[in-house]
Amino acid sequence: MEQLILAEGACDPANDIICRPENVTELFNNTDVIFSIGPLDVTRTVFLIFLAMVIVVALLFFGLRSKRLVPSKFGMAIEALVVFVRDEIAVSIIGPEGVKYYPWLLALFMFILVGNLFEVTPLINFPITSRMAIAGTLSLLTWVIFVFVGFKKNGFGYVGALVWPKAVPLALRPLVGLIEFVSTFFLRPLTLAVRLFANMVAGHLMLTLLLVSGWVFISSVGEIGIRALIGVPWFVFGLGIYVFEIVVAVLQAYIFTLLSAVYVESSINIEH
Amino acid sequence: MIEIKGAIALVGYGLAAIGPGIGIGIVVGNAITAMARQPEAAGMVRTTMFLGIAFTEALALIGFVLFFIA
Repeated sequence: MEQLILAEGACDPANDIICRPENVTELFNNTDVIFSIGPLDVTRTVFLIFLAMVIVVALLFFGLRSKRLVPSKFGMAIEALVVFVRDEIAVSIIGPEGVKYYPWLLALFMFILVGNLFEVTPLINFPITSRMAIAGTLSLLTWVIFVFVGFKKNGFGYVGALVWPKAVPLALRPLVGLIEFVSTFFLRPLTLAVRLFANMVAGHLMLTLLLVSGWVFISSVGEIGIRALIGVPWFVFGLGIYVFEIVVAVLQAYIFTLLSAVYVESSINIEH
Repeated sequence: MIEIKGAIALVGYGLAAIGPGIGIGIVVGNAITAMARQPEAAGMVRTTMFLGIAFTEALALIGFVLFFIA
């Protein structure tokens, strides 16, 4: 069995069964320039970002274009998605005022959903939200919006209510206020971004490792004989994880949008 | 002598995941109990459950970040 367990030092590139990558970040770094538009170099990740944008716009445009009495099945599906974001996320969390924020939440939800589902799309197989730049930018946008809304609705009472919570006993107020301040202004955007990013990185790594190692073992049957069967359980397990990752992709898009709505709500109603 | 090689940050991340794991279990378990007792409140319970999970998970996520930067 020793030949099967190839550690870093034992890798023989001439007989490449499995070589450990130098650094796992090469699974996420697509630095090769596909084509350039003027000064803008388009790598695979950039291309996928624009592809996701086009897909979201096309889905919404073609899904909601015709106002028929009986919509097509595709139209109904898109409509159900839109109504879900409006009723289940925007209005049920923020309240009647939430309708104002629902275009933003819908854009967020659709973009993250498409970006996450790239992970399990054949021939793409790369979740763009597994790059911290994208998850971080989206969560910074949420941060800017909920801080802006907080100051607009409550003035400086927004920060005042955070650092000096009236509902807490006087002796504990400085401590709770400090924790609330740090958690609202620093931990919220950080955890929001890292939650999405970490889930997608873990999913992409797991899928790559299981499916690729399974495939490599099975395809090297000529060299290592019957022991190549070890690849079969890997591959089957990878397919199981594949289904699981679809669930994770949808759930993470939902959670990101839900938390964005909750943060905006907590900026509007500062009492609790 | 046995020599153990590897990243100590991995152990740290494993330790950081214990607490949130237990916490998420408690949150989801109680949410299921609540939904089973009062199915008409399931929507509200589900939203609150995801919130609770999100806040509990934050500790594990910070551990995950530390694993990368350590």
